[in-house]
Amino acid sequence: MTVRIYTATGCARCKITKRFMKDNDIDYEEYDFKADGKDAFSQFYRANRKDIFRDKDGVEFPVFSDGKVIRQGVSVIIGYLVAGDDLHGFIGRSLLHGEWIDGFNVSGGDPAGMDDLLSVLAYLKKNGLKIQISTDGRNAAVLQAVKEKNLADRVIMEVRGPAALCRPPVDEGELKQSMALTARFPDYRFVTTVAPVERPEGGISYLTPEEIGQTAGMIEEATGGKKHPYVLERFDPENAEKKEFKGLEMLPDSAMFKYRTAARRYQVMAEIKSQR
Amino acid sequence: MAAPTIYPTGTTVFDPEKTWSGYTLYIARDTGAALVDMNGNVIQLWEGLHGFPCKPLPGGMVMGSLGVRDPQYGYMDHTDVVQVNWEGEVTWKFDQYEFIEDPGNEGMWMARQHHDFQREGNPVGYYVPGMDPMTEGGSTIILGHKNLVNPKISDKMLVDDVIYEVTWDGDIVWEWVCSDHFDEMGFSEEAKNILCRNPNMVIGKGLVGDWMHINSVSTLGPNRWYDAGDERFHPDNIIWDGRMANIMAIVDKKSGKIVWQVGPDYRSSPELRKIGWIIGQHHAHMIPKGLPGEGNILVFDNGGFAGYGAPNPSSPTGHNNALREYSRVLEFDPITLKLVWMYTYFEAGYLNRMGRYHFFSPLISSAQRLPNGNTMITEGSNGRMLEVTSDHELVWEYISPYFGEDGKSNHVYRAYRVPCEWVPQVRAPEEIPVPRMDISRFRVPGTEWKEEQRKTAVKGARGYASMPQLCVADLTIDED
Repeated sequence: MTVRIYTATGCARCKITKRFMKDNDIDYEEYDFKADGKDAFSQFYRANRKDIFRDKDGVEFPVFSDGKVIRQGVSVIIGYLVAGDDLHGFIGRSLLHGEWIDGFNVSGGDPAGMDDLLSVLAYLKKNGLKIQISTDGRNAAVLQAVKEKNLADRVIMEVRGPAALCRPPVDEGELKQSMALTARFPDYRFVTTVAPVERPEGGISYLTPEEIGQTAGMIEEATGGKKHPYVLERFDPENAEKKEFKGLEMLPDSAMFKYRTAARRYQVMAEIKSQR
Repeated sequence: MAAPTIYPTGTTVFDPEKTWSGYTLYIARDTGAALVDMNGNVIQLWEGLHGFPCKPLPGGMVMGSLGVRDPQYGYMDHTDVVQVNWEGEVTWKFDQYEFIEDPGNEGMWMARQHHDFQREGNPVGYYVPGMDPMTEGGSTIILGHKNLVNPKISDKMLVDDVIYEVTWDGDIVWEWVCSDHFDEMGFSEEAKNILCRNPNMVIGKGLVGDWMHINSVSTLGPNRWYDAGDERFHPDNIIWDGRMANIMAIVDKKSGKIVWQVGPDYRSSPELRKIGWIIGQHHAHMIPKGLPGEGNILVFDNGGFAGYGAPNPSSPTGHNNALREYSRVLEFDPITLKLVWMYTYFEAGYLNRMGRYHFFSPLISSAQRLPNGNTMITEGSNGRMLEVTSDHELVWEYISPYFGEDGKSNHVYRAYRVPCEWVPQVRAPEEIPVPRMDISRFRVPGTEWKEEQRKTAVKGARGYASMPQLCVADLTIDED
């Protein structure tokens, strides 16, 4: 089956993708949406609408098809070409544009695929993209490898609460190891969503200010510092993945201040994410 | 703002029959918080206390700050807000708003407070019958700073204004960020243009845009408008004014939305055109219930320079595009915007054009309504505090004798009149009238007033007109 790639004139990420395919002797047909390939892409889009992501800014290019799968975005396509679906979980859609690229979750995939992930990151970095990765503490070894090879420019660590309440579960030692590694990147921040949690004793309730304080304290303990960028986000039940959380009331704006105060006892730069 | 080289300081006028006597509290430049009696005797100096402003509390206590952030990096940021007793002991303190590490300075928590704060129990921070500020509890509303970028305003770093409420125990329970409400403020495209290019860049951790420069924050407190069903005037709502934008506004405490506003464009309605362009104003607040004029807005309309808008010969870029060389104290109805009372050079008895400087403070300043209907005014730039009756009679005047370490200015940010009962530690002072002097015969040592040594009548001279004629028309033409 012929490999097709749909591109747009001037799209830097399309060029990187094509370069990768050339470097790896992968033959392809190119259809430039902004030139001769407009009709071909329109036809392809109509036939595969549900598999192609499109938002208010339009379709993200490049779009790749080998007759079996459709992949979209430079990192997802290269990840697929390197390891098939093995990097699923590590690489997702990038929300950042321009020189920055994200969508890499070092905690989300199978650590066995670490070398392939590193090769994808290395290729993107070599081609001038600035890489933002995320972690929730799991797969600290992968994060360490990324750090050692200097493959990420920014790390966002989502700390879901005190270790015992983190879901998916994460070993406290590994969580702290990831925290310490995160703080060694040139640009990083810790983020905690003040979210509902399923209590071990039963029931669902929001993390308490005390638990956010413990979380901030854990960051201090793991990193030896109190001055890390630490952002607290308000949970929106409407966007909850778990249906049990959807019916919960959203915390009022004013409730967030107590969380910030609790966090600042251990992380003095703690701030509430702006709603603007 | 044209003072002679030599002039008296201290109390210069005092009519005990007509004043609402008490003590006056103000920050003596580079010195501390001074509490003076009506005759100008300093009965207590809280040495070293800062205050932006310093506010009186019952029981001989005051609120202020212990220090100021390194001015190389902070812009008017005060390190904390404190309550201090008669003995100078700090009995309450808040500083945990932001952890600041300025080069060459120890990292420390700071309130980043500037220009105002209010302790619960009293909406405005000055004496109101039955509304004493709390001294052993209660929350405090603090006006502070926060550095941020808001692309809707400018790509430059802003030193934005925030209003936050902190409990007695130090928990922040409410916060309002001014720039979040930029879209609600009704700036013209011309104003947005210059705001984008120059959001009033000042020095503070590099150049930062002090775009709004809020200088007054108070709650509305109980008021007749809310009693009549107007939700915009909920007692918990907060009124503020922004000097740089010539805006006064009320924020709904619950939603954070701006629900009442005057400015930035004073051409936008006949009522505003009648009030005239308010420029660089300070201390806009609602006169609390229980005081004459309750429910009206009282503001020191500085004049001077402020605003964003179309360029003009005095403002080639549109920054500080509104100018006026005299000040006004205005009292107006917030519903009809009708002017109720005003004090300017004119009411003070001076000539138009030539005498406007007699009441002019381009920066700082304030106005406090007193229980007898008098108004206590701080004409801050030249350190003058005065009390005038509702008929504009000057019944007390005091000039700060504190000229600071450089000797260049005795300016006073804001002074408050304090009832004697709020200072139980000292006996109420004897009041000695100070009649207004005839300065035509006032001389300094080394000279003395004498009759003219010789008078020669000029034959044929026709005498003087009762009204002086100046080089410009002495009328303001209402172009409406």
